[in-house]
Amino acid sequence: MSLVALSELLGAYVRDADGTARGRLRDIAVAPQDHPTRIAYLIIRIGEGEHLVPAASIKALGPSIRTDGDPADWDTYTASDGVLLLKRDLLDQQIIDVHGRKVVRVNDVEIDSTPINSHMLLNVVAVDVGARGAIRRLAKGLVPAFTLRALLEKIPPRVIPWQYVDLLETDPARRVKLKIAYEGLSKLHPADIADIVEDLPPAEREAVFETIDEEVAAEALEEIDPDIKKSIVESLDSDRAADILEEMDPDAAADLLGDLTEARSGQILKEMEPEERQEVTQLLEFHEHTAAGRMTTEFLSMPETSVVDDAIEAMKTFEGGYEALATIYLTGRAHQLVGAVPLVKIATSSPAAELSGLSERAVSCPPDTPQDEVAALFDKYNLLTLAVVDEHGRLAGIITADDVITMLRHRN
Amino acid sequence: VLSFLKPVLSFLRTWRGRLVMLLAVIGPGFITANVDNDAGGIFTYSQAGAQFGYSLLWTMIPITIALVVVQEMASRMGAVTGKGLSDLIREEFGFRLTFFVMVTLVVTNFGNVVAEFAGIASSLELFGISRFIVVPCAAALVWLMVVRGTYDSIEKIFLTASAFYVCYIIAGVLAHPDWKAAAFATVTRPQAAGIRNYGYLYMVIGLVGTSISPWMQFYLQASVVEKGITARQYAASRWDVILGCIFTDVVAWFIIVACAATLYASGRHDIGTSGADAAVALRPLAGEYAYLLFAAGLFNASLFAASILPISTAYAVCEGLGFESGLDKKFHEAPVFYWLYTLLIVLGAGVLLLPRLPLVYVSVLSQVANGVVLPFVLIFMLLLTNDAELMGEHTNSRNFNIIAWLTVAVTIVMTLAMLFTR
Repeated sequence: MSLVALSELLGAYVRDADGTARGRLRDIAVAPQDHPTRIAYLIIRIGEGEHLVPAASIKALGPSIRTDGDPADWDTYTASDGVLLLKRDLLDQQIIDVHGRKVVRVNDVEIDSTPINSHMLLNVVAVDVGARGAIRRLAKGLVPAFTLRALLEKIPPRVIPWQYVDLLETDPARRVKLKIAYEGLSKLHPADIADIVEDLPPAEREAVFETIDEEVAAEALEEIDPDIKKSIVESLDSDRAADILEEMDPDAAADLLGDLTEARSGQILKEMEPEERQEVTQLLEFHEHTAAGRMTTEFLSMPETSVVDDAIEAMKTFEGGYEALATIYLTGRAHQLVGAVPLVKIATSSPAAELSGLSERAVSCPPDTPQDEVAALFDKYNLLTLAVVDEHGRLAGIITADDVITMLRHRN
Repeated sequence: VLSFLKPVLSFLRTWRGRLVMLLAVIGPGFITANVDNDAGGIFTYSQAGAQFGYSLLWTMIPITIALVVVQEMASRMGAVTGKGLSDLIREEFGFRLTFFVMVTLVVTNFGNVVAEFAGIASSLELFGISRFIVVPCAAALVWLMVVRGTYDSIEKIFLTASAFYVCYIIAGVLAHPDWKAAAFATVTRPQAAGIRNYGYLYMVIGLVGTSISPWMQFYLQASVVEKGITARQYAASRWDVILGCIFTDVVAWFIIVACAATLYASGRHDIGTSGADAAVALRPLAGEYAYLLFAAGLFNASLFAASILPISTAYAVCEGLGFESGLDKKFHEAPVFYWLYTLLIVLGAGVLLLPRLPLVYVSVLSQVANGVVLPFVLIFMLLLTNDAELMGEHTNSRNFNIIAWLTVAVTIVMTLAMLFTR
């Protein structure tokens, strides 16, 4: 097994079975549909034409490339969407380093060759994003090869193993053919995904949001800078945008739609499921900078006669964000707010304990309370959630502390 | 009854819509064009007016066109691709060329930074403030403003700074020029006799050389991307570029006119070596106000350019070579970015505090690097804006290409000529 860098190979002579130089290496292709890392063929330039050399006929990969093939069998190369070309698609391009959680530029690609029986198994193993690849490419052809190798040995490598590389591809059809699914990216924390996406150019941002799972997309979108968030949603299909917005907290979805033009938000709303659409439309009517504009309608309220066990059962089927469960609200006749039970009290009480016995006085505010006063209430009463009640004293929604933190940060 | 008003109203509505669109995207083009009138530019324009009177005013229209053509390409690339110029050069032309362009860019920009700090120092020395106070303060101010500010807040500061260029227009009016002769000189063909004169030709080359520089293209494209302008808003963004270039050259026109009407008219054909010397020379001839306006204008222009150059260099280099960059990163996350930015300011300002100032060498070095790198940058821009895979339907049209190649060819010849005539 030995490692060789793509930049060392490019331009190398490709020799046939007799050892005659037939052409020079132009690019190297991987066909992800057959194998994710295996090299499928080399593209070499012979005179004016470009030909394919199948990987199976390669005997040695290095400063000179030996094959046991017959050049007559080397087909003419025609461009294909289904293969990844290491030079064209990878070298100097940006990729996502899933392990390091950032966007990086590729300086070189490392290829491993392992002899198996009579031929070589060639695999892409890593991309070089550090000084070693950079200096190799700068000095290539200017410094004798062995001196360069000795020099490069001294530079600590900065490589990203291939399994932690997520490629960026803006063409949806090609993404499917190359099997780019952003699996690695999807597993990161939504806040990390948001940071990465903010570093990408617009078309690549869109590519990520078209591809990743809707729920992940929704969580990540909530963490992204408002201006960028807006431009992403504007660029997505209404259909796809609606799918993602359905997974978001209704208050966040409403805020986002409120930033779009009326025509655009109308298109997206039309594509949403009726239930989500109704919630979001209600919230959209409130002014953004008031309690109502900041509240979510996904909260847990129980009749005041319930016991702890009932509350635990209700939590199991609750679909909203966990932060909304910090307080469970109690309602009396005609859904009027009568009390609030902190989650901790439920967790530490016996299943049969009555909720009304655990209840504290619920702090609440009317829907048109300005957001500054909302923040003041959180501060004064040390709240995790704040109830918003309508003119009849009924619980309309709640505001959670994380929304207040976001609000305060964006005001500065 | 009011039906006749309908077309008027709809016209007003679309007009208003366009104005709103324009206001939303204005900034990058306007700012970039104005920074072009930096300490070096102001000196060149002053000298042109003092030495040749109105007879170089004809260059203003071709220079404006060239400026618009080049800037428009940078701004269009930013809007369509969402990527910076150095990103695109790296992706399309590979590591080695990018490295070469970035190294020369750092050298030429370092020279420019020194020139801007020299402008700051000499303009405030006119008011009797020592450069040993001014230069460190200005360096600290620049560093802090950029590191602490956001894109939006900095853009507002820069747009305000752009407005201060009106100083020169007022100074031009105060100089009581012969308006008719000046206007006439702007639109007439240059005299053949003048062109054969070596000094005259040298000045024409200087005027072109100071107006199109590599760093502007990197800065403009990056700020279009940063502002989030997309291909859809591009039509309005083009106006940002055009208006910016026109305003810039109107300011340049007034600088030439002010010096022509006073210095040239009274036979003072040589003003010295800096924009501050121009202000001093104007004092006895154009009056106290013109002197103050020239000095204040120089300070504003130099500080403005000194704020933009280091940061734009740091961004371009780090993006092209693949280092972490961005003011939202911590120092240890993007060390190369912050070090490069800080060193450009500290060394650029520090050179001015040296007792025996090697200013001349720095300026020669910077001009040579500029002459070396500009052809590459402009040709790269032309190749990139003609790349259909990259630009889609927004590639250059055939007619635009003819003008653009011509502009680029003339600019390159002029820049190289300036290099060899020194």
